[in-house]
Amino acid sequence: MENLMDLPAMESGQTLMRLENVSRHFVMGEVIVEALRDVTLEIKAGEILAILGPSGSGKSTLLNIVGGMDRPTTGRVIYAGEDLTRASDERLGRFRRHEVGFVFQFYNLIPDLTAWENVEIAAGLVRSPSSVARVLEEVGLADRADHFPSQLSGGEQQRVSIARAMVKNPRLLLCDEPTGALDHRTGSMVLSLLARVSRSLGSTVVIVTHNTVIGEMADRVIRMRSGTIAEIITNPDPLPPERISW
Amino acid sequence: MSVLGRRIWRAYRKSRLQFLAVALVVMIGVSTYISMNTAYYNLEHSRDVFYREHDFADYYFHVVRAPYQVIKRVQALPGVDMVTGRVQMDLPIIRENGERGTARLTGYHLPMDKEVNRIQLLSGRMFDEDPSGGRIEVLTDPQFAAANRLNPGDSLVVAAQGREVTLAVTGTAGGPEFIYPMKDAASLMPEPENFGIVMAPLNQVQQVLGYSGQINQVLIRVTPGYDPEEVAERVEKILEPYGNLAGYPRKDQLSHAMLNAELEGLQKSASSLPAVFLVLAAIIQYVMLGRMIKTQRREIGILKALGFDRRSIVLHYAAYAMVITVVGAILGIILGIALSSVISKTYAMFFNLPQEIGGINVKAIFFGLLSSLAAGAAAGLGASRGILALNPAESMRSEPPRVSGRIWLERWSRLWKRLDNYWRMSFRTVWRNGWRSFFAMIGVMFAAGMLIIAFFADDSMDHMLNRHFTLEKSYDYLVRFTEPVKEYEILNISRLDGVIKAEPLLEVPVRVSFGGRKEDDVLLGMNPGTTLKTVFNVDGELLAIPEDGVLLGEITAGKLGVKVGDQVTIETRMQSGVSQEASLKVLGINRQMIGSESFVSLKQANKVLRESRIVTAVMLKVDPGKAAGIEKELNRMTGVSSIQSRQRELAGFEKQMGYMIYFVVIMVSFAAILGFAIVYNSSIIGFGERQRELALLKMMGFSDREMGGLLLRETLLQSIPGVLLGLPFGRMMSQWYVAAISTEAFTFPVVVYPRTYIISAIIGVLFVLAAHWFASRGIRHIEPSELLKNND
Repeated sequence: MENLMDLPAMESGQTLMRLENVSRHFVMGEVIVEALRDVTLEIKAGEILAILGPSGSGKSTLLNIVGGMDRPTTGRVIYAGEDLTRASDERLGRFRRHEVGFVFQFYNLIPDLTAWENVEIAAGLVRSPSSVARVLEEVGLADRADHFPSQLSGGEQQRVSIARAMVKNPRLLLCDEPTGALDHRTGSMVLSLLARVSRSLGSTVVIVTHNTVIGEMADRVIRMRSGTIAEIITNPDPLPPERISW
Repeated sequence: MSVLGRRIWRAYRKSRLQFLAVALVVMIGVSTYISMNTAYYNLEHSRDVFYREHDFADYYFHVVRAPYQVIKRVQALPGVDMVTGRVQMDLPIIRENGERGTARLTGYHLPMDKEVNRIQLLSGRMFDEDPSGGRIEVLTDPQFAAANRLNPGDSLVVAAQGREVTLAVTGTAGGPEFIYPMKDAASLMPEPENFGIVMAPLNQVQQVLGYSGQINQVLIRVTPGYDPEEVAERVEKILEPYGNLAGYPRKDQLSHAMLNAELEGLQKSASSLPAVFLVLAAIIQYVMLGRMIKTQRREIGILKALGFDRRSIVLHYAAYAMVITVVGAILGIILGIALSSVISKTYAMFFNLPQEIGGINVKAIFFGLLSSLAAGAAAGLGASRGILALNPAESMRSEPPRVSGRIWLERWSRLWKRLDNYWRMSFRTVWRNGWRSFFAMIGVMFAAGMLIIAFFADDSMDHMLNRHFTLEKSYDYLVRFTEPVKEYEILNISRLDGVIKAEPLLEVPVRVSFGGRKEDDVLLGMNPGTTLKTVFNVDGELLAIPEDGVLLGEITAGKLGVKVGDQVTIETRMQSGVSQEASLKVLGINRQMIGSESFVSLKQANKVLRESRIVTAVMLKVDPGKAAGIEKELNRMTGVSSIQSRQRELAGFEKQMGYMIYFVVIMVSFAAILGFAIVYNSSIIGFGERQRELALLKMMGFSDREMGGLLLRETLLQSIPGVLLGLPFGRMMSQWYVAAISTEAFTFPVVVYPRTYIISAIIGVLFVLAAHWFASRGIRHIEPSELLKNND
C-alpha cells in the first residue's frame, strides 16, 4: 500500500473509525494494568467528539489507539474500511502522516523553527497540503509567521500548532487537553478555531479533556471511567464555543 | 554501596558505549604516553650505560699514518683522560657469489680495559691475539652476521693490499660507536647485507694492512672540566705531520648522531601526542558531564533538599568522570606496556644495544597515570562546579524552554531560502549549541589531522626516494675503485658488453672553510653534461655543473653560513697523497633528497688535487638484460672496491619503510577511535536533548529514516568542517613535527599526496557516520505516545 490517502472519501455522518471490543493491557512488573476494557466506539466523519474523564480513566490510552500510536491487546480498529489492528509500525506511521493531525496541551512546537517553518515542515509530509500562508491567516497569525516559538505567547503557540495540524488537511484532528495550559479567553479562542476547522475542512475533531464544560460544544460526549466507556451522550444542539465558559 | 554510588553505577550502565568511547580516548592518551616515554627512557638509559661502561670517545681524529707511539704524546696533554690509537679501514668483501660488500676492519689494542670505545662480546667468543695456525680471528656486528648468516667458525674473505685475506669469525660484538652501524652519512640507512663492522686485534690488523707499528685513528676521552675543542686543537697540532684527515667531536659521530636524532624525535612526540588525547578526553568528559548535570537538575535539587551537602554532590559527579578516567588509564597502562614492547623490539632491530631495551618503566606509568587523573579530575570538577550555584528550590524547577532565534547564516537570504526546513533546523541547533558544536568540530579536526600525520611520513619518504632514485641519480651501478685511476682506464669497464653509458666521477673528501668555520664534506667531480647524476638547487631547479667554482651542498653551506658568490677554501683529505688547498667560488647551493655532497667539474677536482685526468669511480647505465653479467665481470676486477646498485639501494630503503606500516595502523586506529568518541558523544547528547522533538516528529508521521536524516544533518554540520579543517591542520602539525625533529644535518620535506587527503577525508567521514549510526540507533525505540504523558 503506497499511502493511506487513497482510502475512500466519506460523507459527513458516515463511520470514519470503528473500535470493536478494544482492550489494552500493560504489564507493569508483575501486575497487569487494564487501561482499556472492552471499548466499542464509532467515530463519525465530520463530528466533534469530546472524550471526558478523570486521570487514569483510560482516555489517553484511547487517544493513543485512535491516533495510531498504539495497538489494542484484543479487539479491532477499523479506519475508513481498513483494519489497523495489526498494522506495522510503518503503516501506522503513514496513517498518522496522512490522516491525523495532533494538537497537544503543551503545543510541542519545534523551537528551532519559526511559526511558518513549523507549519511548513508538516505541509511537507503530505501530497496536497493547504497553503501555509492560508492556514496561518486562518489562525490569525499571518503577521507572526517569522517568530520563533520562544517569541510567541501560549495562545499563539497553540494556534500555530493547530495551523500545523490543519495544513495537512487531516480527516482526523486529535486534541489532547488543547486548552489545558491556556487562560479562559485564549482557550475559548482555540476552541472556536477547532470548531471552525471541523466545519470548514469537514474534519473529525476528537478532543480529550477532563474539562467537562468543553463537552457542551461537542456533537457527542464520551465519558470514560476505569478503562471503560461509562456513557455516550449525543448533543442535539452543541453550543458555539464562544458561549461556553469555565 | 552507597546510594550515590549506586546512582553512578546505573548511569554507567545506561550509557555504556559513551562511557567506553571516552575511556578509550583516555586509554590512547595514557598508552601513547607510557609506550613512548618507556621507549625513550629505556633507550636513553641503555645508551648512557653503554657509553659510560665502554668509555665512548669524546673526540675522533683520522690521520693518514702515524707511529703508534704518538699516542703517548697525546696522553701527556692536559685534558686528555684516555687515548686509544687504532687502525680502521674499509675493505672490499669478496664473496663466492661475486657480490661486493664493505668490511670496516677495526683493530683493538689488547688488553682492552684501558682503551676508549671498548667492545662487548654479544655471542661466540673473544678473538685471540695470537691464535694457533696463524689465523686472524674477528668479531662482527650482529646485524651483519645475521644478514650474511655468519656463525662462529665461518670465515670471511676481504681484499687488503691487493690480496685476499681470510678472517675467521669467532662471534659478534657491539660497541658504543656501532649502535647504528651505518657506512656513511650518504647512506642514511644501514645495509647489513653489504656493510659490516669487523673487529680484530690491532696487531693483526696492522699486519694485514701494512701498518706495522702504525695507526690511522686516535680516539680520546676528555677529562671533565676541560673544553673539548681546546683539547682537540692541541691533539690536532701533534697529529698535523701525519696527514690529519679529520677531527670531529662525538656529536658528529654517525651512530651517535642518528641515535640522538631518534631520541630527540621520540621525546618530542612523547610529550605532545599523549597530551592531545588527554586534553580531548577531558573536554569530552566535561561536555558529557555538563550535559548530564543539566538534565539532572531536578534530581540534584532533590539530593540537596534531602540534605546531601554540596561537597558530596560535586564529588559524586566528579567521581563519574574519575571512574571513566581510571578505567581508561588502566586499559592505557596495559596497552602502553604492550606497545612499548613493540616499539622496543623495533628499535632493537635498528640499534645495537647490549641491554634489553624493553621492560616496564615505573616512571612512565606513574606520570601517565598522574596526568590522566589530573585531566579527568579537572573535567569532573569543572563540569560539576555549576551544581554549587543551584539552590534546591530552583533546581527542582524544570529547565526553562530553549530559546532559539535567527543565526548569522540567515543574513545570506539567497542561500538560506534554498535550504529546506530540516537544514534550517540543523543549522540553528548546531549554532545554538555553540561551544559544544565547536568542541566537536575541533575534536574531529584533531582526529582528521592525526590521520594526515599517520600518513605523511610515508608520503614524504616516498617523495624523497622517488626524487632521489629517479631524478637525482639514474645510473644502474656506481663502481668505486680501490685507488684513483686515470680516466682512460674506465674504458675497460665502458667496453663491457651491455654497458650503455659510463660517466666518470672523482670523489674527494675535503674540509671546507669559510669565515673561520670548518666543515667536512665530499667534493664530487663530474663532467659538465653528465646525465647519470643530476644536481638541483633548493627550489628543485636543475643546476648545471660549472667549469670552475663549486655547487656547495645545502647542509655544509648552512653550517658555514655560505651564500652564493662567496669564496670558500677547500682542503683535500685523500687517504693517500698530500693535502692540497684551493679557493673556490660558490656558484650555487645544491640540495639532495638523501645525503649531501658538493659538486665541481671533473677538471676542477683534478686541479684542486694538482692531478690530471684521474677518477675514483664510474657510473654505469646498462642494458637490464645484461646487468647480471656485467656485475659478475666487475666483481672479478681487482681494482674495484665496491659496486653500488641503485635498484638494491632503493629496495633496501623500501624494505625499511615497510616497518612504517605498524606506525600507520596504530595512528589511524587511534585517530578513528578519537573521532568516533567525539562524534558519538556529541550525537548522543544531541539525541538525548531532542527526545521530545523526535517523538513529535514520529507522531506526525516521520519515518525513522527521515528522523535519522535530521540528526545526521546536525552531525555532519559540525563534523564535516572538522574533517576538512583537519586536513590542512594535519599538514601543519606534520610541518611542526618535522621542524621539531630537524637538525642541521637531518631534515626532510613534508609532502602530503592528494591521495592521502582523499583517503584521510574518507576515513574521517566513515568514523563520523559510524558514530552517528551508533548514536541514533535509539530512534526506533522512541515512543510518540510519550508526548501525551504530561497529563492523565
